[in-house]
Amino acid sequence: MRGLVAIVLALLLGALPLITTSHYIIGIGVSACVFTVAAAALNLVYGFTGLLSFAQLGFWGIGGYAAALIVTTTSGNFWQGLGCAGAVNAVLALAIGYPALRTSRHAFVIVTLAFTLLAELVARDWVGLTRGPLGIPGLPAPVLFGFRFDSTPRFFWLGWGYAVLALALLYLLVTSRIGRTLVAIKENEALTSAQGIAPLPYKLAAFTFGAVLTGICGGIYTFYLRIIDPSFLDFYYMQTFLIMVIVGGAGSFWGVIAAGVLMSALPELLRFSADLRMILYGVVLLVAMLAMPNGLAGWLHERRLARMRAVPPP
Amino acid sequence: MAFDWLYLSQLTANGLILGLIYALIAVGLALIFGVLRIINFAHGEFLMVGAFTMAFALPAVGLLYWPALAAAIAAAALLGLVLYEGFLSSLRPGEFERSILITLALSIIVLHVVQYLFTANPRLVDTAYGFAGVSIGSIRITFTRLIAAGVALLAFGLLYVLLSHTQLGRAMRALAQNRDAALMVGIRPRAVARNAVVLATALCGLAGGALAPLQLVTPIMGQSLLFKAFALVIIGGLGNVPGTIVASIGLGLMESWIGGFFEIVWQDASVFIAMIAVLLFKPRGLFATGTARVG
Repeated sequence: MRGLVAIVLALLLGALPLITTSHYIIGIGVSACVFTVAAAALNLVYGFTGLLSFAQLGFWGIGGYAAALIVTTTSGNFWQGLGCAGAVNAVLALAIGYPALRTSRHAFVIVTLAFTLLAELVARDWVGLTRGPLGIPGLPAPVLFGFRFDSTPRFFWLGWGYAVLALALLYLLVTSRIGRTLVAIKENEALTSAQGIAPLPYKLAAFTFGAVLTGICGGIYTFYLRIIDPSFLDFYYMQTFLIMVIVGGAGSFWGVIAAGVLMSALPELLRFSADLRMILYGVVLLVAMLAMPNGLAGWLHERRLARMRAVPPP
Repeated sequence: MAFDWLYLSQLTANGLILGLIYALIAVGLALIFGVLRIINFAHGEFLMVGAFTMAFALPAVGLLYWPALAAAIAAAALLGLVLYEGFLSSLRPGEFERSILITLALSIIVLHVVQYLFTANPRLVDTAYGFAGVSIGSIRITFTRLIAAGVALLAFGLLYVLLSHTQLGRAMRALAQNRDAALMVGIRPRAVARNAVVLATALCGLAGGALAPLQLVTPIMGQSLLFKAFALVIIGGLGNVPGTIVASIGLGLMESWIGGFFEIVWQDASVFIAMIAVLLFKPRGLFATGTARVG
């Protein structure tokens, strides 16, 4: 039943370019697809596995740069760029994740944050590689079997296709035995170890898979923007992913997806002032953390429980 | 090129002062982590508030340094009290990730409210001392830098006395070392945690006030310093105050030397690379002593 609703909604969203011709609205649709996958990847790492990772922003940026550099400096095409974005992030996630996961969960947060800051430094200051603040402009439109994704409605299909594929993979993962193991590690790591399950490989795998998905998101979004510069690693993106996860409910697969779509559209109303928008983001995050720490999904779940517990009138 | 000793000693002097400022920020983080087991992402905003208070108070008191510095400390400490009573006191033990997200949200709000009200334009802060300074040999240090180093050292001295010789400080250390045992001997965690947060934010306000005349004051000044301070707290061994001070001064020197002799990009990158290296070889930090402790 729930699966059927999801398929209908996904098809409905996929038909967006047929419903409207407004490039503005379809552009928000592209952002919604990409950001929702990035938020769902963060949800895998934080919501399911319990690792608050700020490295997602770094993976996002590195994915964007990797895809752009493959296309501009080598003779690779967009798809090879995406593959490279995923591969580079997988290697980096293993290299960063292994030492970071051996420390406490406190240190993990800081190490992942430092990784993102390092990525930002490279983007800004390693001018020989990334062209620094000038960025890499003029990226070509992706081509698949002769079909050029060269306008916003056309690009939308690309973002939508990736979102459906990535979210389906994530759904299969979190509902599998592996997904349940991840939740078990989050809930009680000591007990999970006592059951004969080594937590580290599971955590590392979740962290790496999240990094790969986020990196490909970054690659796709870079080619949507047609330019990448160090502002692609702005903390604003991390806050967006975090708010989607928190508002939707960390650990709730559908909640985060709903919040992803919703929170992509909402801030557009406040486009006139970047500062006011950020203040709104902060307030939303704060209120969500204080009033409903388990997000919309957790709040709905609690309400349902309360209704079931309520004494029926005689 | 002949090796320039004068240049090196000038860099060393600057690095020491920078390291002392880092230490003021990082020590507060270590204190809060030791007592409350949380990481305060809004810590950089206290530094920024201290610096902005300094920037606005100085013209109001006729460029006098000390009253403005006192105002900066008071403003940060007052905000620290609001932070604890309003948000942190309701956290239960173990809600580490939640504490990060709450303080991160506060940091976003404070940063962008200040940016909205006062714009992102950098401010130059002038004091009664201006750019006057002293010359030791051929090294030249401005009074504002010398005072910044002096008040930082004084603050560490007072902090040492507080932590090891007063009931207030001993209660903080007790809570950091063994929460259950501290509760058993009648230490009230709420009051101690509040004291620790106010003390830490006051130190941060002091750092902001002392830093304001040394560099341009902008709303985002706290953020980059905070991220470095996080790395320092990790290198020093989470919650270890003396370790954090040593790591901070080391970083100040390292940054100053690297900035003087190599490309500028390595200056900012060095602290993060150092942190990852330390974590690879000593996952509990350079100065870890079994359990995290304060003092």
